[in-house]
Formats: sequence, structure tokens, C-alpha cells
Amino acid sequence: MFAYYLRLSLQSFRRNPGLTALMVMAIALGISVCMVTLTSYRAAARIPLPEKNDLLYVPNIDSWDPDNAYDKDKPGNAPDLQTYRDARGLYASTIPDRKVIMFKAGGVLSGGTHMVPEYVSARMTTGDFFAMFETPFLYGGGWNAKADEGPEPVMVLSKETNEKAFGGANSVGKTVLWHEREFRVVGVLNDWEPAPKFYDVSNGSFDDAEQIYVPFSWGQIMELGSDGNTNCWKTEDIQSYQDFLNSECIWMETWVELRTSAKVAAFRKFLDDYVVEQKSKGRFPRPLNNHLYNIEGWMERNQVVGTDNKAMLIMAFAFLAVCLVNTVGLLLAKFLNAAPVAGVRRALGASRRDIFWQHLTESGVVAVAGGLAGGLLGVAGVWALRAWYGRFVQDLDRALPTDYSTFVIAVGISLAAGLIAGLYPAWRIGRAAPATYLKVQ
Amino acid sequence: MGLRPILSALMRNGAGAILVAIQIALTLAIVVNAVFVTEQRVTKIGRDSGMDDQNIFAVPVTSFEKDHDFFAMVRNDLAMLRGMPGIVDAAPTTQIPLSGGGSSTQFYSLPDKKGEKSPVAYYNTDDHGVKTLGVKLADGKNFTSNDVEYRPKDAQGLPGTAVVTRAFAEALFPREKEHLVGKTFYDDQSKPTVIAGVMEQMHGAWVGWDKLDRVMLAPLVGPGPGIRYLIRTEPGRLDATMSAVEVALRKRDPNRVVGKLRTMQNFKQSSYSGDSLMAVTLAVVTALVLIFSALGIFGLATFNVNTRTRQIGTRRAVGARKRDIVSYFMAENWMVTTLGVVVGCGLALAVGFWLSNQFQLPRLDLYYLVGGVIGLWALGQLAAWQPALRAAKVSPATATRNV
Amino acid sequence: MLSMKNVSKVFRTDLIETHALRDFSLDVKAGEFLAVTGPSGSGKTTFLNIAGLLEPYETGSYKLDNVEVTALSDDARSALRNQKIGFIFQSFNLMPDLNVYDNVDVPLRYRRMKSAERDKRITNALEIVGLAARMKHHPSQLSGGQQQRVAIARAIAGDPKLVLADEPTGNLDSLMARQVMDLLERINEMGTTIIMVTHDPELARRAHRNVQVVDGQISDFKPYEPHAQAASVPAHIGAVHTPATAGA
Repeated sequence: MFAYYLRLSLQSFRRNPGLTALMVMAIALGISVCMVTLTSYRAAARIPLPEKNDLLYVPNIDSWDPDNAYDKDKPGNAPDLQTYRDARGLYASTIPDRKVIMFKAGGVLSGGTHMVPEYVSARMTTGDFFAMFETPFLYGGGWNAKADEGPEPVMVLSKETNEKAFGGANSVGKTVLWHEREFRVVGVLNDWEPAPKFYDVSNGSFDDAEQIYVPFSWGQIMELGSDGNTNCWKTEDIQSYQDFLNSECIWMETWVELRTSAKVAAFRKFLDDYVVEQKSKGRFPRPLNNHLYNIEGWMERNQVVGTDNKAMLIMAFAFLAVCLVNTVGLLLAKFLNAAPVAGVRRALGASRRDIFWQHLTESGVVAVAGGLAGGLLGVAGVWALRAWYGRFVQDLDRALPTDYSTFVIAVGISLAAGLIAGLYPAWRIGRAAPATYLKVQ
Repeated sequence: MGLRPILSALMRNGAGAILVAIQIALTLAIVVNAVFVTEQRVTKIGRDSGMDDQNIFAVPVTSFEKDHDFFAMVRNDLAMLRGMPGIVDAAPTTQIPLSGGGSSTQFYSLPDKKGEKSPVAYYNTDDHGVKTLGVKLADGKNFTSNDVEYRPKDAQGLPGTAVVTRAFAEALFPREKEHLVGKTFYDDQSKPTVIAGVMEQMHGAWVGWDKLDRVMLAPLVGPGPGIRYLIRTEPGRLDATMSAVEVALRKRDPNRVVGKLRTMQNFKQSSYSGDSLMAVTLAVVTALVLIFSALGIFGLATFNVNTRTRQIGTRRAVGARKRDIVSYFMAENWMVTTLGVVVGCGLALAVGFWLSNQFQLPRLDLYYLVGGVIGLWALGQLAAWQPALRAAKVSPATATRNV
Repeated sequence: MLSMKNVSKVFRTDLIETHALRDFSLDVKAGEFLAVTGPSGSGKTTFLNIAGLLEPYETGSYKLDNVEVTALSDDARSALRNQKIGFIFQSFNLMPDLNVYDNVDVPLRYRRMKSAERDKRITNALEIVGLAARMKHHPSQLSGGQQQRVAIARAIAGDPKLVLADEPTGNLDSLMARQVMDLLERINEMGTTIIMVTHDPELARRAHRNVQVVDGQISDFKPYEPHAQAASVPAHIGAVHTPATAGA
């Protein structure tokens, strides 16, 4: 029966090419616009490492100004970075299974076999970073806790940096100079550009990953400032680097890995105890505002998916709604026009349900055609978007990946929408008594 | 003409009419809000930055060898750049305006953190900064080369004089708008700075910041090892000059890092990329929605005519002229369009209200709603015009046909 | 009333040329009740279309109520139809979305009459056909015979001089048909010229004069005789049956 209905649908399209084309185009455009905005939205909303979503957490505490909230639009939010003292204090906890303390720095890298000296961005971090964030290694590996303690002059290079410094060869064991200091390469990362850059959203959710990774303690030895955000609220006399480390300026991030809910609870208590203790020393003048965010929560709190993205998605779906209303109207027109034929079929023995399914099939075919056309148009649209973005976004594949699942979703939405659109017209045409249409009109 | 019979006929056979009305309502709601938001974004992007941003580019330079004389490098670089053909001027800076990266701090109109206060984005530069940026001084003058402090170590506090934007100065001294030059403002350690000159306009680092036009130029260079040069070229010579500069800098001193050259336009486009994407998307969607609504109404109107040829013929037979038929269909369409527009108005306002609450966008300006109503009403009528004309061509003999 | 001389109507498609009327000449006097008969495809309907100014013709001349219509503009023809002619169609051609009152109203609207005048005429016409009680009903709520009577009311509401009826009883059973014919006769007695196209010879006999059309031409006709006054004509035809009974 279904094959028969398909054949009838195709005949019907041939008889009415203009109207059919209009309907398919309407759906196609609605779907393609949705697809482009959906792609953009999903790129921003993607949760990296979803399997670690309930393992990795950001401790968030409020050491800010008692008279001014950190974010005047969202006064309940605590700052997204920590002071050096607090980062160290939190890092000292033995509860987490893994933990990391880090900040973003920069400096000139030289040496190597091929290197033209270049200013590179550096992530100053502790050794657990690589295991926690599942960075892929091309050569070698990270460093352990003992190397952090030293600190040992070790370094991990990004794949691109390794290409520049050593022509891409296995550089484990070789030395490079950073800030004129010798460091030994212990590992080279493979391609790794997480988008969004969830572990450092406060500095830019879609920034490039750093070019080198260095043990955290070197930051203090080399007296490095942050190349990322630094915010200070308190009036303090900061004359030396030590003063800066002791100040209320926030510039660091910590992440912890907590594998059981007991540990999560324990760490929450640790956070509270820590802040209370700091309060007794005269710090943390604001009310207690501790949070433990998982990856998803952290991204949402930092609005990685901007309001613009959400607004555009809504606009796209509203447009789809208009296209669908359009389609319902055109389907209704088309079916009612063919009502006499349906009347004859009824006279010849078709039940109301037969007529209904026949016409619903026709709607479905239009919907699928529209969805496929829309999907293709959408792919073209995403391609155009990438071309447009490519003028100033360095790494496109990260910011706007070609996502085939979105295509499938688009066709799926189209089919569902088309069937819904066709429900009323298909029902309506089956409703009238056949005699009405058989009489001389 | 008789609108009442038309209305009662419509009510009996409402499905097609309702669909057209819904379509018009949705279209109005979408288009009005989309155009409104687009216009805002376009305005935002089109703001005057106060600088000659079409002709400026930046190059980051880092000194890295231990005994490399940073300040000599800077002086020599700038002297060379300023002598190159096609270059209007060059100046050192900490950050690039409109790039999204920069520093800001809070200042007060009185010592001890008293009086009015205002944050400001600041750029440490030398006495060539004003000319390099191309900013206009509305009052006062630039600081001199003697005012510029070459600071070898990272120390706090700004030099005693600065050039600021009018917006910043007026925020600190709202009651003294005529006499801003010479006023003193204080940092949070009560260190004073005197306003030497007032810039009419300049944009700072973050285009999304509502205080984007509060900017300060401070006469300070250092401590290194990295710095950025801002270079302003003569109009039309940007690309050629950029390659020449890169070559010249590397050649003059190979013992330092010359980073990636980037134009201020590029920074600006990148900063506004979200806004321009939004504007373009909305413009495209608006155009598409209008086209499709028009086509849809046209299609339904045509169908309307085609299914009623017998009625049309009968009306003609009993005396309707061609233009009576046209006015019948136009009137019918007018009723549906009006219904759609009325509902659409309410919908547009509701959507506008929701959008402005949900996404912190400004409230919908009624001017757009009026424009949208008129435009859509006209569109609805226009789309039905040709089908109405076709209806008029139906022969009266259709009434006697029996097939 | 109506005077056609040598009228020809040709239908042309890409393949065929059909002469629906050839050299057609006919004179109808005011007050006549004329029946036009003939086999299918003979051109009766074409004649009616031309007589009713529904279609233009190729050659010949046609005078309606002493007005030569050949060169009239479309607007003028519409006006003429509106004022001088009333149509009754085989398939009634009522507007399905309008009620009885509004259906009868349609031609009067094109006359641009004031609403009081229209109301008077509509009520009057509906009373003549015996359907005044059904003013608010829609055609779907009426039987075939009732629908045709509404169509007749529509045709006479404007007081036309000529009524053109195209197989007026073609879709009705014999009882309803008889009553429609009674109505037509009554209208004719009130002074209106009626030209009725039919293929039913029984009905044709009730007219004053018969004319047969074969292959686009008149074939023979009986001379005009004044019609004797009927013995008794019921004042309200519809009132013969009680209102509660369904059917005409």
C-alpha cells in the first residue's frame, strides 16, 4: 500500500510542479537556516569530555570586594579566577584523586634545531593536567609530582611548536630555551585544540590552546605574571613580585578530580572550612558563596554559549514555524483541489483512513524532499559561515566543525514537521462525503 | 460593496484564511524584531572609534637575550619606522585598541578613593601616540616627550599627566564639562594625574563594554621585554607598508622576536564578529521570511480563485463587472491581512518584550512596529493582486458549464 | 425583446474548429415564454450564453431590448446583465458560504442599491418563491428544489425584463420540477420574458413557443399564440405543503 501511495504522490507532484516546488523550497529554507544556527550553537555548547562531566570540578570561592559584586549583572556570581594564596590553599587538599593549579603566561622560546625565536603562550600547570584533561601525546608524556616539587626544568610542547622547533621530529630529551633558561622536552602533544577551551573559559572560550606546558612552580621562580586576565579589587601597595603573590589579585585556576560522591561532599566541606578559616584571618569579606562546578555547569555559568547564539537559534525556529504554516496552507490548497479525485476513490471503496494515509504519505514525501534539500543547503550555509569566519578566526575546525549529526537531525526535524503540517489537510480531505464531490459542482 | 457577506463567507470556510492570517502574524512578529535588532547591531558596529582605524596596524616585538638593551631597541625601532616612506607616525603601546585585550583600572576625582569614580582602559605610549592613533584633541594638548617615563622595572602608579577621552573626564567631573583640562584625578593609592589633553573620542579594548569610550593614554614605556608598535600609514598604503615594516624590523635587529603583524581593522572585525554575524543572519532571515510569506499568500490566493471559478462566473453573470470581482477578492484578502496584522502586532510586542528581558536587549521601538504593520499590510495586498486580476478574467460563461 | 441576426460563434483550439452557432437568427417578443430544445451539443447552451451576454460572438448582430450589444464594453454588458437579465442555472450556482438572504442579495449589490430597497426586494422575491422562512439557512441545508427556488428568487429580485433558464429542472425530481415550472409560468404572467433551454419535450410543451436548435441553427418553430389565462394559480406556491415537511 505504501509503495502505491508513493507512486500516487509522485504523480501528484508531476501534475503540480510549481506548487510542489514552493512547498519543498519553504521547508528546505526553514531547515537550512535552523541547521546553520544549530551548528553554531552546538559548537559553542559542546561539552568536551562528557564522560568526565561528573569527575572534573572547578572550586569557586568569593574573595572579592565587600562593596562591589564581581559581576554587576550577576551579583550572585563569585569571581572565576583565584588568588595565588587561595589557589595554593585549595591545591593543598589531599581529598581529590587528581588536582591541578595553573595560569597562562608567555615568553620567548628559542634553541631547538629549527627554531626561529618566537614569543609563545605557556600554560604553567602541575603534572596531573595531562591525565585529567586527556591530552593526546605524540611523543613522550607529561611529568610527575616529583617534577612539580623540584621543580624540574621539563617542558611539554604542542605539536605545532615541535614542528617549528625540531621540524616535527621526536624531541624528547632535547633542550630548548625559554626566557633564556634551559628546559628539557619530556613530551610532545598530538593535535589538541579543544573547543570550547573549557579549562580556561575566563580567558577566552575559543582561544588557541597554549604552545608549551611548564611546571607551575617555575612561574614563581621566574617571577612570571599572567598573560591572561588579572583583576584586583583591593588597594594594596604592590612593589615586588612577592607582594603580587600575596595580594588579593585573582589570576589563577584550579581544577580537581573527585571520583566518588563521598569525595565530592568531603571537598565541599573542605572548601567551606578553608574559606571560614580565611575569614578568621580577615580575608574573604563577602558572604560565603562557595560552589563546585562540573564541566557543564562551569560552561553555563560562564555563558560560553552566548545570548546571541540562543537568540539566533530561537529566531531560526520561528522562521521554520513560518515556513511550516506556509506549507500547511499550500498542502491544504493542493489537497482540496484534488478532492474530487479523492471522492471518486471513496466511491470506489477507499475508506476515510485510506485517503488519510495516502495524503499523509504525500506530505511525508514533500517533507523528506524538503529536509534533504534543506540539509544540503544547510551544509552550504555552514561552509559559507566558515568562509566568513575564516577571515579572522585562526582555527576553523575547532570553532565550527562540520557536524554530520546535525544534518541527520535536520532531516529528522523536517520529516516530523512535514508530517505534522500534513495532518490537518490529510484529515480534512477525508472528511467530506464522497457524494459532495461526485455531484456536478 | 458589502463587507458583511464577505466576512460571513470567510468565517464559514476559514481554514485557508486562518493560515494566511497566522502567516502574516508570525511574519510581522519576526520581521519587526529582527529588523530592530539588526539595526542596533549595525549601529553598534558603525560607531566612530575616534581613531584612523583603517590605516593602522600593529606588530609585537620581544627582546629576549639577557644583555639586550630593550629601551635602545625601542628607540631605534621607532626612529627607523618614523622615517620609512608611507608611514604617518609610529608609537609604542601595551595593547591594541579594539582587540578585546587590554587593561583597565579605576580612578577617583578626589584622593582617598572619594568623589566620583570611573573605570578606564589605559594605553601606555609615548608622545607620538596621539598622532599615530589619529585621535582628535578637543581641548588641551598632548603630553610632550619630556613627560614620557621610560620605566625599567614593573612599578605601580601612572605618570603625573595623561591624555584622556571626554567621556572619562566628564564621568569624573560631571559639573565641570568646560574646564576639564588641568583637572587632577587619583588612583586608589591617591597618586595624582593631571589631565593634559582631552580627546573627543577614542574606543578602548572591549567593544561589548558600555564604557568603551573611556580611554586614557599615559606617557609610559616599558619595562619590556615585550612591547607592541602601532603604525599608521598613509591611506591606501597599508598592505605594502606592512610587508616593508616586517622586513625592516627583522633586518635592523635580528636578535629579538618580531611577532605577527595584524591590522586594527582585523582586530575590529574579530571583536565585532558576533554582532556582524547576528546582523547578517537576521537580515537574511528577514528577507527570506518576507519572500516566503509573499509567495505563500500568493499561492493561497491563487488557489482561492481557482476553486471558485464557478462562483466568479455566476457573479459575473448576475452583473458583476471585472473590477467588482477584483475588489471582492482584494477586500477578502484585506480582511484576512488585517486580522493577521492585528494579531501580529500583539505577537511582535510580546516577542520584543520577552527578547529584551531574556537577553538583556533594549526594548522594541514602536517606530519599527508601525513600519512593519504598514509594510506587511502592503505585502499582503500586493501578493493577492495578481490572483485577483486573474479572477476578473474568468468568463461569465463558466456559470453555465456543467463539467 | 431579443433579436439575433446571423450570429456565428466559433470555438477554436489548436486542433479543432467548432462552429457552435452558424448564421443563427431569432426574434423573441416581450412577454413570450420560449422553449429552446435540441440534442446534446447542438449549441443551445452557446445560444443561451450569447443571449445572456456571457460570451462574445464572431459575426452577426444582437439587439437586447432595442440595444445593439455587439460593440458594448465588458462593463456595459455587465450592467446590462445586472439590470435586464435574470439567470437560472441547471446546477443552481448558489454561493455555498452565503445564506439564502445573502445569495439573493448578490445581484442587487452590483446594482448599488440602498440597503432598505434591497431588503424589500429580497423579502418580496423570497415570498414569491415561498422560502421567506428560510432566509438564514445555507444552501447545504436545503433540498435541490429549494435551492433552485432560491436561485429563481435571485434571478427575479432585480425585476429583470428577461429570464434565461438553462435546464432549470435538470437536477430535480418530477414533483419539484413541476413546482419550478409553475413558478416560471407565474413569473411569465407577471410580464417577464422567459427563454428556457431544455431537452425535455414535456417541459417544452408548457412554453408558448418551441424552437429547435440542431447543429448551431434553428430548425423549425411554431408561431406565437397568446397564452390563455390559467384557471387558478395559487398565490403562494410553496404554501401548498406544510413547512414541517421536508422537500420542495
